[in-house]
Amino acid sequence: MPDTIIADGLTRRFGDFVAVDQISFGVRPGEIFGFLGPNGAGKTTTIRMLTGLLPPTSGRAQVAGLDVAREPREVKRRIGYMSQLFSLYGDLTVEENIEFFGGLYEVTGERWTARRDWVLENAGLGALRHRPTGTLPLGLKQRLALGCALIHEPSILFLDEPTSGVDPISRRNFWALIGEFARRGTTVLVTTHYMDEAEHCDRLALMNRGRLIGLDTPAGLRRSMTDPILAVTTANAPAAVRVVRELEGVRDVTMFGRVLHAVVENEGSARGAITTRLGQAGIALSHLDRIEPSLEDVFAEWIRREGGAVAG
Amino acid sequence: MRISGARVGRMVHKELRQMFRDIRMRGLIFVAPLIQLVVFGYAVSTDVRQVPTFVVDYDRTPASRQLVDWITASGYFRVSGVSDRSGDLRAALEDRSATVALEIPRGYADDVAAGRAAAVQVLVDGTDSNTGNIALSYIVRIVQRAGADMVRAPAGVSLEARAWYNPALESRVYNVPAVMGLLLLLITMLLTALGVVREREIGTWDQLLVSPVSATELMLGKVIPVALVGLLDLVLVSTAAILWFQIPLRGSPLVLLAAALPFLIAGLSIGLIISTLSNTQQEAFMSSFLVLLPALIFSGFMFPVSSMPQAFQHATLLNPVRHFLVVVRSVFLKGTGFADHWEQYLALYAMAGAGLWFGVSRFRRMVGA
Amino acid sequence: MISPTRLGAIARKELLQLRRDVRSLILAFLLPLVLTMVFGAAISLDVREIPFAVLDRDRSPASRELVEAFTASSYFTLLGELDRPADADRLLRRGEARLILSIPPAYARDLSSGRGARVQALVDGSDANTATIAINYADAITAGVAARAAGAGQPSPITAEARVWYNEALESARTIVPGLVAVIMAIIAAMLTALTIAREWERGTMEQLAATPVRRVEVVVGKLVPYVAIGLIDLAMVTLLGVLVFDVPLRGNVLLLAGIALVFIIGMLSFGILISSALKSQLLATQIALMATYLPTFLLSGFIFAIANMPLVLRALSYLVPARYFVVVTRGIFLKDVGLGVLWPQVLGLVIYAAVAFALAVRAFRKELA
Repeated sequence: MPDTIIADGLTRRFGDFVAVDQISFGVRPGEIFGFLGPNGAGKTTTIRMLTGLLPPTSGRAQVAGLDVAREPREVKRRIGYMSQLFSLYGDLTVEENIEFFGGLYEVTGERWTARRDWVLENAGLGALRHRPTGTLPLGLKQRLALGCALIHEPSILFLDEPTSGVDPISRRNFWALIGEFARRGTTVLVTTHYMDEAEHCDRLALMNRGRLIGLDTPAGLRRSMTDPILAVTTANAPAAVRVVRELEGVRDVTMFGRVLHAVVENEGSARGAITTRLGQAGIALSHLDRIEPSLEDVFAEWIRREGGAVAG
Repeated sequence: MRISGARVGRMVHKELRQMFRDIRMRGLIFVAPLIQLVVFGYAVSTDVRQVPTFVVDYDRTPASRQLVDWITASGYFRVSGVSDRSGDLRAALEDRSATVALEIPRGYADDVAAGRAAAVQVLVDGTDSNTGNIALSYIVRIVQRAGADMVRAPAGVSLEARAWYNPALESRVYNVPAVMGLLLLLITMLLTALGVVREREIGTWDQLLVSPVSATELMLGKVIPVALVGLLDLVLVSTAAILWFQIPLRGSPLVLLAAALPFLIAGLSIGLIISTLSNTQQEAFMSSFLVLLPALIFSGFMFPVSSMPQAFQHATLLNPVRHFLVVVRSVFLKGTGFADHWEQYLALYAMAGAGLWFGVSRFRRMVGA
Repeated sequence: MISPTRLGAIARKELLQLRRDVRSLILAFLLPLVLTMVFGAAISLDVREIPFAVLDRDRSPASRELVEAFTASSYFTLLGELDRPADADRLLRRGEARLILSIPPAYARDLSSGRGARVQALVDGSDANTATIAINYADAITAGVAARAAGAGQPSPITAEARVWYNEALESARTIVPGLVAVIMAIIAAMLTALTIAREWERGTMEQLAATPVRRVEVVVGKLVPYVAIGLIDLAMVTLLGVLVFDVPLRGNVLLLAGIALVFIIGMLSFGILISSALKSQLLATQIALMATYLPTFLLSGFIFAIANMPLVLRALSYLVPARYFVVVTRGIFLKDVGLGVLWPQVLGLVIYAAVAFALAVRAFRKELA
């Protein structure tokens, strides 16, 4: 089956600034494809180019077999899109919003009634259909926005940070929904900066400073991390970071609350060095364990290899 | 209530810097006033000249032609068309190619020669009542004079009219000083209201409230820069009026200033009150506009107060713009002093005081002082 | 292909939002109402009862007759008799009197002896409008007195029988109210629409819209529809008020008025949408919309101040102000009962304006983000 989404050397410049630099990838039908990256990496710009919101400076985007630059409106008919900031109409009721988007996608009559019921049920908003959207909690708003993006039953869904600012439980429910749609054959391209959500994706693309620096399944990405990681739990994390960072054989140290993750070259020698040095510095060490790399660790490592994330 | 001059000074300094750095502000402070000045100065003119006149002369004698000459010689009328069919006259008035029509009946010359009363028909297009009024008054005057001159023996009465303060009878002389009133009100109200609300919108307001700044210092910090800008604009516009429009400043600038200060304060107070009622800059702007409109309409700026119904005339006494306009026009054109318009000064100071008291108390309440 | 479904969805949404936006509703309906009442009832350009004072140093029957002639005229109202020139100064300076009639001591003698009497009128020239009218009528009255004196009872040799057409009593209301229709619609149309698109940008809903297959034209037209309805309702409201309350006649064809009004409204609304699309901030859009409509519409449309009296540059500029054409149309239809035959130049101007504004609005409106 041909890829439903194809990016080929997509580039976008804003004056001198290169926001997206020669990105190429393909997404298979029914796949949940995630875009991971720090702020300013170019994720939103990429999605905008793929959905016809922003023309690329160079390169090509192909969605559902159509060239996005040449037939943007045809593409828009076949895709659903949820933008980053909640952008349904706060002063319209839930049902009025559904009606509006139905109209925009020319979903009318009986078909609309059926779709409307589906959206309400999916979002759990059946009882609230006459409530002004602006008064709903964020989690429900997001579910409504998702429903409106799907009102015309598109086969491809683009979601730009759909769960930012949403509480963890709602986020889990939301991803359950996405999983449902993917199982039924919808291709989903989603950007996120929540590492735990990245685990739900079939494949992940890592972006930094406008470039694609990694593309693999979550498991594959984790396996790519060959250097061992030691979790160092101390009483004084900031001080410990300063000490451990300078040690030979320590590639990188990241602080996760009180715990340090140290990427080291050799587990054995590193253990010794860390224990000794922290003792010399008078910093109490409570735990020192090897851990499996999480996506967060993988990500931090890849970024480091690339020379650091974009500032801010 | 302790006021730290240094703190207020710093806030004023910051406010002024922000104002002058913002391009839009600079436009509002410098460019907009001058544009308004030019437009109001030239557009608001009720001078009537060269009114197109359609002539239907049924008599066609030297006497009738002489009458037409008299009328056009005044410079106020020009012949836009001639015909001997009254239908053309109607058409000319309908399609506005003529504003006035003159119909001279057959037998006009005979009547005049015989000393009988000769009547000519004057038709005026009344759709623009002002022009109609003025054109009518000119025609009546010319014709009456012509008649009087005809029976000159014995010599009649001549009226020597001297127009004081504005011999050339230019209407812009009346309007340009008045624009100052409009501008000062606009600027003080708008800048104060927007200045306070913008800070609330951005969020720096809470930052200020948490600091040791007192409510009074905060208010002064917002209000003083606007007052300074207002004075700056006063000078700017006055200079433009004097140099460009050549409006004479016959009175003393101090007399003008003595009226401008309470007027500025009144405007500032209104701006403060508006800021306590608006949540966004958008609202503040609209509210200012909604206050400005009646303030302008009922001020004598464009529409004479004396032509309003009694009830409205009394209502305008509450409008500071009305009082300020009387003073500013008089100081420029007539060289008046305090004594001539003491009622206006009294009203202005009273309003400034009341406005300030009201504005400050609302401000303090909003700040939670 | 323009889809009526998509267009309808946009129009319906605008209408729903408008219904719930109290501020816009006030602007749309209350403000025109208030403006009409205010302008109809309070505003007048009429100059009557000009306050004047007399400095009569002759005090003869002849001078009394002259003063009588002034007092009898509806144009002047006598404040009082003065004794000293200094009093005259004061009255003029304070603006209490607009005209001082100064009759010299030898008035009656000069008049009867045939030498020719001269009186002086000192006029407060600062308000040139009133001064001009005052001088004219003062001269006319004086001339009338002179002629009567010479002819000893005979009527004046020439009289001008003046008739005013279309607005017989030269009532300001009839001049102002038809023009007011144009002004109100111009200002409000531009202001209302100036907000719609900027609002969508500011709230982020524009991006969502951009991702859908809706066409630019559909969005612009869809947004216009509810405001066109408002404009026509306002037209009806102001017309009714003018006719019922202020005695403004409606002599012409109402349908023609409505039709031309439609074109005018579309033009002004498109202008508002153009502003809203070009500037994506609501605050800025409001300010620019106000500046770009209120000043020109108030001053350069002929609504209050006759365009013919303005300098060339402003006269030329007025051709760019659509309200100018519409004021001619409203006055023509209300007061003169003229038809397309006379009004076609104005209608042409309005059609061109509407077409250009609409085209520019659609072009300027880019839902795409670049």
